[in-house]
Amino acid sequence: MIDTKVPAPAPPAARGGRHDTLARAALLLLRGRTLVVLVVLVIFFSAISSEYLTQSNLILMTKHVAINAILAIGVTFVILTGGIDLSVGSIAGLSSMVAGGLLFTGLHVPGGTVFFSVAVVVVIGIVVGALVGAVNGLLVTRFKVAPFIATLGMLYVARGAAQLLSNGGTFPDLAGTDARGNTGFHVIGVDSWLGIPVAVWIMVVVAAGAIVLTTKTPFGRRIFAVGGNERAATLAGIRVNRVKIAVYVLSGCCAALAGLLLTSELGAAYPDTATTYELNAIAAAVLGGTALAGGRGTIVGTVMGAFVIGFLSDGLVLVGVSTFWQSVVKGAVIVLAVVTEQAQQRLQSGLAKRVA
Amino acid sequence: MNSMRRFLVPAGVAALLALSACSSSSDDSSGGESAAPAASKLIVVITPSPDNVFFKAEQDAAAAEAKKLGYETLVLSHDDDPTKQSQEIDTAISRKAAAIILDNAGADSSEAAIQRAKDNKIPTFLIDREINKTGVAVAQIVSNNAQGAGLGGQEFAKLMGNKGEYAELTGKATDTNAGVRSQGYHGILDQYPDMKMVAQQSANWDQAEALQKTQTILQAHPAIKGIIAGNDTMALGAWAAVQAAKKDIVVVGFDGSPDVVNSITKGGIKATVLQPASKISQMAVQQADEYIKNGKASQPEKQSIDCVLVNADNAASVTDFAVAGS
Repeated sequence: MIDTKVPAPAPPAARGGRHDTLARAALLLLRGRTLVVLVVLVIFFSAISSEYLTQSNLILMTKHVAINAILAIGVTFVILTGGIDLSVGSIAGLSSMVAGGLLFTGLHVPGGTVFFSVAVVVVIGIVVGALVGAVNGLLVTRFKVAPFIATLGMLYVARGAAQLLSNGGTFPDLAGTDARGNTGFHVIGVDSWLGIPVAVWIMVVVAAGAIVLTTKTPFGRRIFAVGGNERAATLAGIRVNRVKIAVYVLSGCCAALAGLLLTSELGAAYPDTATTYELNAIAAAVLGGTALAGGRGTIVGTVMGAFVIGFLSDGLVLVGVSTFWQSVVKGAVIVLAVVTEQAQQRLQSGLAKRVA
Repeated sequence: MNSMRRFLVPAGVAALLALSACSSSSDDSSGGESAAPAASKLIVVITPSPDNVFFKAEQDAAAAEAKKLGYETLVLSHDDDPTKQSQEIDTAISRKAAAIILDNAGADSSEAAIQRAKDNKIPTFLIDREINKTGVAVAQIVSNNAQGAGLGGQEFAKLMGNKGEYAELTGKATDTNAGVRSQGYHGILDQYPDMKMVAQQSANWDQAEALQKTQTILQAHPAIKGIIAGNDTMALGAWAAVQAAKKDIVVVGFDGSPDVVNSITKGGIKATVLQPASKISQMAVQQADEYIKNGKASQPEKQSIDCVLVNADNAASVTDFAVAGS
């Protein structure tokens, strides 16, 4: 929620002080709009359904949020540099199918079939995501392909690869067997720890890591510098291409992780896993105040955005709204978020001028 | 870190390559594209995404039967997108196919494309899903979805003891069968005054969507005793949610897919309605063969094949969308 590029509040100007105070209050409200929307949603749905604000439903909704939030955190890294990653849904599907294949049919090598333990399978799944992300990064930097096009291409390539892995079929049973030593895949998607689903813990860890990375490290500052003004970043000695490749790799890892969580929860891997999830992820980032032009946004905002989308969709299902209205409402909320973002920008620049 | 990377990167690549290599061995779509036959010995098979094993069985059965009768095949998927379907029919036209076997992408949005094939003297044999117009396709061989849904609804009511709260997961709204099945279920279930539908949501035939929606529905209505789904992939998603919630809930699906049949034998999902997908595909190819040879249809256009109920009693005898002895 805290916008890193916003100048510190200036002392109130002598003239028009009252007007400024109002404007400042409005600005505060606008900056916290994702939180405001979330609170409004919770109040609204609690009023309609007594089941909404129960502990078990909050935990369930947060679990549903976790998958989109992890995808969205990855996408936010890319958007902060001024890029976009449309391939995250397909990467999630690909890593899901790689993990599913390794667990269900094993890896065929000359002379037999090898089964890996679940931990190794998860690592391989994430490495696949990192590799695909690296290809995205190389396309964008070395081959100067526009991020939209490079990742759009990857959206199709990765989805196709996922379908090729099983010839379009589903890996139906990922429970593994003791004989193969590959049981326990359900831990990350189904099990709970201290009453909270493991998937939620993973989201918390990923979010915390991403917050530290963006706000406390030199790498984080470089991400914002590249997104804010690429030329200036280059002149300042930042190796822009390296930063860019790194954010696509991070995005690929997050996408792969989300795909694995989804697959674990379902207990089956199918090639259409996470189709169109990239749009939900981008929507969460935008809702959270990340500017598509780059250089401005926060991980906390993105996570809040994911919560708004998830709590809204689940609330609509809970009270029994039809699928068609669910789409309409979700779309309207996203557009409204951008409209208020514009209002915030205007108000901010207005205030800044007044102070100056 | 560096040594780790050195190991993992090749491992990941190897995993990818090995998996893709072992799975691409079966022959269909990929190979057909390049080998253009001189004369009309090509049968084009177009279905929704083979992601759903039901459509995969359709494709495989049609391709196998066509090869047996001496045809080349081109197997395509329209992913339930009428525009993509239209383009694929154009491909069939430009390849001068002898016949098209089509599981269409939506009744109303498919007629124009089928008509275009007809105008180009290519007969279309519809399987699984009907269109409203007659005289455009040579044959429409569909499983009797209304009859099947009736069977499923009856079994569902019986399993629930004719009373209690239940939820329904419906298919993609643009797909005719989603509506037909839902109506078929309700034609039965609405006759029971003690059975109450407390939630109805579309999960768009999708497993993950069915899982999440079922979880949310169970939050809203903890007293639910049954979930009836418009197809098997959604039933599997619902069953995953029921298992995670550790509840005793009757789940019934539709299609007769191997995964659900397997679940039934293990006492998980309670019942499904088997559509004779393989049989229908084979019939369509055989009739296409006769049409190509004789220049006229051997059967009436509309053909309806009855579905079979699969439950714990007969699940063991089901293989590949066919019950032994039926």
